[in-house]
Amino acid sequence: MGLRKENGEGLKLDVSIGSLTLKNPVMTASGTFGYGEEYAQFFDLSRLGAVVVKGLSLLPRMGNRPPRIVETPCGMLNAIGLQNVGVETFIDEKLPFLRQFDVKVIANIFGESVEEYQKLSGILSGVDGVHALEVNISCPNVKKGGVVFGTDPEVAALVTRKVAAETDIPVIVKLSPNVTDIALMARAVEEAGADAVSLINTLTGMAIDSESRRPLLANITGGLSGPALKPVALRMVWQVAHAVRIPVIGTGGITSFQDALEFLIAGAAAVQVGTANFVNPLATMEILDGIKDYMERHDIMDIHDVINSLRA
Amino acid sequence: MTNGRITGNVPAAPGHFILSIALPATFQEPSFGQFVMVRNLLNGKAMLSRPFSVYGFHRDAHQSALELLCRVAGRETKLLSGLKAGAGVEVLGPLGNGFTIRKDVDRIILAAGGVGVAPLSFFLKERAKYPSKAAVSLFLGAKNGEIASALVKGLSDTCAVHIATDDGSLGFHGPVTEILAAELYSCDFERTRILACGPTPMTRALARLLADKPIDCQVSLEERMACGVGACLGCVVPVRNSHGDAMYKRVCKDGPVFDLRELLWD
Ligand SMILES: Cc1cc2nc3c(=O)[nH]c(=O)nc-3n(C[C@H](O)[C@H](O)[C@H](O)COP(=O)(O)OP(=O)(O)OC[C@H]3O[C@@H](n4cnc5c(N)ncnc54)[C@H](O)[C@@H]3O)c2cc1C
Ligand SMILES: Cc1cc2nc3c(=O)[nH]c(=O)nc-3n(C[C@H](O)[C@H](O)[C@H](O)COP(=O)(O)O)c2cc1C
Ligand code: FES
Repeated sequence: MGLRKENGEGLKLDVSIGSLTLKNPVMTASGTFGYGEEYAQFFDLSRLGAVVVKGLSLLPRMGNRPPRIVETPCGMLNAIGLQNVGVETFIDEKLPFLRQFDVKVIANIFGESVEEYQKLSGILSGVDGVHALEVNISCPNVKKGGVVFGTDPEVAALVTRKVAAETDIPVIVKLSPNVTDIALMARAVEEAGADAVSLINTLTGMAIDSESRRPLLANITGGLSGPALKPVALRMVWQVAHAVRIPVIGTGGITSFQDALEFLIAGAAAVQVGTANFVNPLATMEILDGIKDYMERHDIMDIHDVINSLRA
Repeated sequence: MTNGRITGNVPAAPGHFILSIALPATFQEPSFGQFVMVRNLLNGKAMLSRPFSVYGFHRDAHQSALELLCRVAGRETKLLSGLKAGAGVEVLGPLGNGFTIRKDVDRIILAAGGVGVAPLSFFLKERAKYPSKAAVSLFLGAKNGEIASALVKGLSDTCAVHIATDDGSLGFHGPVTEILAAELYSCDFERTRILACGPTPMTRALARLLADKPIDCQVSLEERMACGVGACLGCVVPVRNSHGDAMYKRVCKDGPVFDLRELLWD
């Protein structure tokens, strides 16, 4: 007790995702933090466990027509359509900025074919400053994209195998909640060589303006994120944590340190914070401080004593 | 995110109100055309903040005072309209790129649709700060005379004001772009600049009106926003970039003020 400092020094917060060690379990969720530039004005990115960047494709993508977002009760729908600068521009123009920080960078990737995923993995493998890959097999917005890979265990396993074959850095497979049996999907990608799984991506949803009878998103459907998602995400993380041996990263509606702790207690080794960044740019930092404070209050020295500690 | 406190909430016209928010003295001074994201702390369910243009700003040694001119558009603005003095709000900002005033123009035409007058009023109130001797006039379009009068209150001392209303109850009966079109006959295009803010139909009409005239026009756009800082890519508008290619720009970070000629209308 006497050794511990007020600011949480002395607490053991580091967690492992495959061969990658994060200094703490709090990271950002892909697509909610750009490539880090916008939020660096609010806090030192080095304090994060990891930055997960906006989903990257082989070529730049324009994304969907606006309107792309709409708020719904306790959440929001988005149909960004995976707009991104493309992997080459990311490496040349975005990564140098992130390299200035002492933070792990996880590149989120998606493709329209197994070959594209494989190529992306090859291109990013060995690039200085990319510490892990997160494979989005679950984006519900693009017709030819995510949903096909993320709902069929065999295809998901194939993508995982091909991506893993091209790289030595940890491969995290990001699962879609738009499936009947999430544990089945998790086991399929684990067997195919995934070093970790992250979940959940957004749930497919929809909103209509009853006055005009028009959809509120130009894309008609979009992905639901935010607090509305949390109970579903927590249940799925808990199920998956019991189904696989690899680390599980929990995402979905995490807004407060209590939310983050729920995921850790349910079995997640780390968490990602998404929509909450929009509401409060300091959300990740407040969550991290809250976790430290919780550990002090409960006399816990090592975060591993929180992880998977659900009581009967 | 800065914690603010409501110090005043004054009805301006039916469905319109002026919010005064006390903020720390350290709050960054906004330039005109910039906006803030505001979140109402009373309503636990309200998740995302809402964007509002800066309508007024003062600072003394102890605090800053931010003023917003708001229209009840939906759920959140309805809630904001009911906030009492003392209520807490969170404010993020000032955000985005505001209007720019070039020294070499001798005419500035402000074109506003409804509450779009907010950032333009901020300019009129702060005019002394901008080194321009240009003659300024304001063209405002509004639903009716009652709203129009409320929106231009106090502004006729600072510039010539021209009003158009949808129902003809005050000023010209019809879209504001029509009286603006008449005004343009007497303009030296090269030495005139238009600064506009209003709903999309007005901006679109303005684009049509100015298509064949070499007038500089800056326009402030509105889109639904989530982050307000450029991270989510939710608030984009189609533009033509310097190479002539179509692309999306973010209203919150690349705007909200754009060169009218950049915008693509499909
Ligand atoms: C840069 C910027 C500056 C703005 N400045 C002002 C201002 O000074 N005063 C003011 O009254 N309003 C301003 N707005 C518009 C204001 O943000 C919206 O009216 C508000 O977000 C609506 O929230 P709501 O919950 O009441 O409406 P909702 O219930 O969310 O929606 C009601 C209606 O408003 C539309 N809407 C929702 N969000 C926006 C938005 N961000 N922009 C435009 N329309 C929207 C919806 O499509 C819908 O038709 C500004 C918007 C932007 C982007
Ligand atoms: C605007 C927006 C964009 C997103 N873009 C991506 C993306 O490019 N790739 C991806 O794997 N997930 C993306 N997501 C999903 C998030 O990473 C996250 O899984 C989901 O939003 C649930 O977490 P949250 O409730 O904390 O936001 C996006 C989410 C939002 C809201
Ligand atoms: S509101 Fe998020 S990018 Fe503009």
